[in-house]
Amino acid sequence: MSQRKRRDVLKIGALGAAAAGLGFPAIIRAQQKEVVMLGIWPATGAFSDVGPILDRGMRMALEERDMKIQGRPVKYIVRDSATQAGAATRRVEEAVDGEGAKFVIGPWSSGVALAVSEVAKRKKVLHYFSGGTEDISGARCHRYSFQWAASPYTAAKTVVDNFMKANPKAKRWHLLVADYAFGWSVEKYVKEVGKTHGIEFVGADRHPLGEREFSNYVQKAAANRPDAVAMINFGLDAVSGAREIFNFGLTPKVPLIMTWSSGVEELVQLTPEIRENIWVGSNFYYTADTPVAKNFVKNYQAKFGNPPGYAPSAAYGMTRIMLAGFDKAKSVEVNDVITALEGIEVDDLVGRMRVDPKTHQTLRPYFFMRCKPKSAMKHAADFADIVATGDTPMPAEYAACKDIGGF
Amino acid sequence: MLYALMGLGLSLITGILNIPNFAHGALFAVGAYLLVTTVNAIGNFWLALVLAPIGVALLGLAIEYAGIRRLYAAGHDYQLLFTFGLALIISEGIIIIWGPVGFSYLPPPFLRGGVDLGFTFYPKYRLFVMVVAGLLVLATWLFLEKTRYGAIMRAGIENKEMVSLLGIDIHRLFTVAFALGAYLAGIAGALTAPIRGINPNMGVDMLGVAFVVVALGGLGNLLGAIAAGLLIGVAQAIVAAYWTEASTAAIFAVMAAVLLVRPQGLFGIR
Repeated sequence: MSQRKRRDVLKIGALGAAAAGLGFPAIIRAQQKEVVMLGIWPATGAFSDVGPILDRGMRMALEERDMKIQGRPVKYIVRDSATQAGAATRRVEEAVDGEGAKFVIGPWSSGVALAVSEVAKRKKVLHYFSGGTEDISGARCHRYSFQWAASPYTAAKTVVDNFMKANPKAKRWHLLVADYAFGWSVEKYVKEVGKTHGIEFVGADRHPLGEREFSNYVQKAAANRPDAVAMINFGLDAVSGAREIFNFGLTPKVPLIMTWSSGVEELVQLTPEIRENIWVGSNFYYTADTPVAKNFVKNYQAKFGNPPGYAPSAAYGMTRIMLAGFDKAKSVEVNDVITALEGIEVDDLVGRMRVDPKTHQTLRPYFFMRCKPKSAMKHAADFADIVATGDTPMPAEYAACKDIGGF
Repeated sequence: MLYALMGLGLSLITGILNIPNFAHGALFAVGAYLLVTTVNAIGNFWLALVLAPIGVALLGLAIEYAGIRRLYAAGHDYQLLFTFGLALIISEGIIIIWGPVGFSYLPPPFLRGGVDLGFTFYPKYRLFVMVVAGLLVLATWLFLEKTRYGAIMRAGIENKEMVSLLGIDIHRLFTVAFALGAYLAGIAGALTAPIRGINPNMGVDMLGVAFVVVALGGLGNLLGAIAAGLLIGVAQAIVAAYWTEASTAAIFAVMAAVLLVRPQGLFGIR
């Protein structure tokens, strides 16, 4: 290259740099106006079947607001949690650092959520989660993470009290528990509440996440001759367990309790024969009698053809309550929205909901259903009747969140 | 017995290709889906149980004829990548055809429920599967051991060049062996459907176990696959009786223990 040519290149470079100096700030200003919200959902690995429908729920809530909040456009981005703590935390960090995400919802596994919660604390971004672990709003609580699902105590109290009301003689229970944070939390409170009813736990077996071979567990359960079997597991684990319990001839003779179920997503995978005498606790059921639920279910069914289960409803509900926090704060700053969410009270998806400012636990109703026999089903998705709802908050003596901390 | 059935089919294909068939789990899943589709179409479980695995065998035949055969000269890496890609394509195909949501399927009414065996309570359908899978394993073993074509197939696994030099159409032999392996995967899937339900990922779980069976029995060793399948089934049941949580881990613990002592597997010679 000649000297002259080199000089030309330098000129062009200088002109380019000047143009960039004028133009880029405009782009940066435009980017700053966007509110970046991250959905960290499982697209691969365990719960990968649920990831797409979680995305649907969050998207629907944002689309109700025309993808805008406080006059600013919302940029909704999605990353794969892979139901692995390492992958999920790395992707959340990348989204926060690279995309400017400040509001994170998800993932779908308690164990992974606890790791994501630590990232939220370190990066100072708002994090909402719905799941069975009590640690998000308990021992590992902090200012940046919130829990949408009912507390494990509320769930256990609703399920055990109402099941015993309907089956007062069923005093011998066998438990099948998923061996991770969610299972341990719910098991603890099922046993606590069970004591008040004089329930004898004749067996309690823990199985790993992703277990598909339940025959060994069911054999042990059958050998204990229980009055009821209660499962504290989720997703395909719960489906596999319920199927095997039926195959062994326990249900429908012996009632089966799915303590913490996703409802529709699990029940649709079981035949009416298997569902007979199954009792189900869930954070949502699509016949919930609230205006928000009715509208959401109507729109969801119109769009996707089937009723929503717990997964899309939780994503929808978490996004709605976070957006309510923006409205209350009249701000898009993380700290303002967090402060607004603390103590917020709304009539939303599942009824009256309030966020406990001391623990960041959402206080809300939990649903208890009984599956219908085939003859009583009015249509293919008419799985169950809501028997009761319960919203007893966790007693103060159980609360492990002693200090939510500062920003 | 299902483990033995899966392991036997995989061992047959592994013996021929000299590489693990990553699509074996997907063929297992196709067997389950075809069973339910056929039952829904013709309303007869028994006929569907015969037809569904034949459908998988035909799929295996097509895979070998149209795909793997063209890669014999290209080397193991290509075959390995082909079966891996095929597994993904079949899994996605299942989702496109049957949807992403799993479902349950009930056995015929007289095979539902459990029987009290005195020492334990056991589902009737599992007892039925045990008998059918046992008979299938026996029939396959007799075919391979006692028939001329079975002997040629075993010889093909041991030394392809020698069999080819004897004037036997080695390519046809490979096609038949692959179809037989696919048939065994298909019938294992069909038999498993009422036990484990049906979902697009069902083959992945079973593929892991099938690989353990093949490695434990000795790569490509058919008798070893049967013995290994039975061994890990029994080990899993015994561990489950005393330490339920460790029953799945027991499968891999047995494999690790055996391979530490005999790296070539129970019946392997290489």
